[in-house]
Amino acid sequence: MSIRVRIPTPLRGLTGGAAEVQVDGASVAEAISQLEARYPGIAQRLKDENGELRRFVNLYVNGEDVRFLQGLDTHLKAGDEVSIVPAVAGGA
Amino acid sequence: MSERYARQVQFPGVGPAGQAQLSTARVLLVGCGALGTVLANLLVRAGVGRLTIADRDYVEPSNLQRQVLFDDDDAARGRPKALAAAEKLRRVNPEVQVEPLVLDVNPANVAALVAEATLVLDGTDNFETRYLLNDACVQRGVPWVYAAAVGAHGATLAIVPSETPCLRCLYPDPPPPGTLPTCETDGVLAPAVGVVANLAAAEALKLLVGARDRLRRALVWLDVWTNAFEQLPLAAPRPDCPCCGQRQFVFLDAPTTSYALALCGRNTVQVVVPDRPRIALAELAARLTAVGPVRCDDDLLRLQVEGYEITVFPDARALIKGTTDLARARALYSRYIGA
Repeated sequence: MSIRVRIPTPLRGLTGGAAEVQVDGASVAEAISQLEARYPGIAQRLKDENGELRRFVNLYVNGEDVRFLQGLDTHLKAGDEVSIVPAVAGGA
Repeated sequence: MSERYARQVQFPGVGPAGQAQLSTARVLLVGCGALGTVLANLLVRAGVGRLTIADRDYVEPSNLQRQVLFDDDDAARGRPKALAAAEKLRRVNPEVQVEPLVLDVNPANVAALVAEATLVLDGTDNFETRYLLNDACVQRGVPWVYAAAVGAHGATLAIVPSETPCLRCLYPDPPPPGTLPTCETDGVLAPAVGVVANLAAAEALKLLVGARDRLRRALVWLDVWTNAFEQLPLAAPRPDCPCCGQRQFVFLDAPTTSYALALCGRNTVQVVVPDRPRIALAELAARLTAVGPVRCDDDLLRLQVEGYEITVFPDARALIKGTTDLARARALYSRYIGA
């Protein structure tokens, strides 16, 4: 089950600079676990201490915000694309 | 129709009717830094009726790399950004009423500011103010355009209350301080800011000329260094959104006693004392010359003391440079400016 995960700039330090990685996983939660196994530290940028998706990071599956789907339990199938889009605060 | 807008009127999406609508628009721009100066420049040239610019800060040399309305002289003099911008913009287009406000947008004043506007533009550099703007705009039903940029990436989204998701539909809670990159930690490239601000301005023009069918209705996230461009279509507002769904305007209702906050990635703390009578800066300067070198004009007072640089504005707001410790900053404020 190959899932494409697009990594935003602020997180690429954890993926050795990779902008897109492939993982397996039947759900978003599983995909994040796989990401963590390969790139330690990435999970805690995406999930808080309670294991919930951090509220200022948006995850999209094929362009749909997982918060409008089943959150971390959102199912994934082969060829799906997950985008990680963190909030941007700057502007000055 | 004025020759000034001929090329814009020629564009079918605007036309004479659209230009006429622009001329009645009252736009509030909150923040006049990198994003804000680009936004202000575009909207004033487009011929809005009035542009109100609210910015609490003053021009510094490191601004000049990207803050297009300021020049070397503004930085050398440390002019308040709202005033320096207004002066430039009046020369760009005298037909637009440009209203500078050197103040901190906070729970005590935001509702009144938004009430005067037909559109609000985000030129801020922090989420605290954005959540406040979101509350005020949703409560009042005024559209606003979120825009943000840092490093080489940024994002923007037009928000039309009750029609599109609001900021809290997208990000229910403010990110904790220190969790997101700032211009001081990550730097910022002018082209990234420019692209984001221009996309935001395009959405603004659509809103102002009544072309709502042309709104992007998507969060744009882009990076000019990695060449990323994401458009994330957003569904309708969330019915359970605490702001636009449940109409709990918690940021608007926040207490307005004096407070201190560390500024976006800078070694500076701002101290605000709402409802304080205006300070006679010249009098304060006279008292403070005994303490250290003081510079004073009509717009601000600057004191160098104990290794800090303290800037005081007539509304009693102060910027204390040289610390990020809120308690220390308040102590310095009390010591040199008073309770």
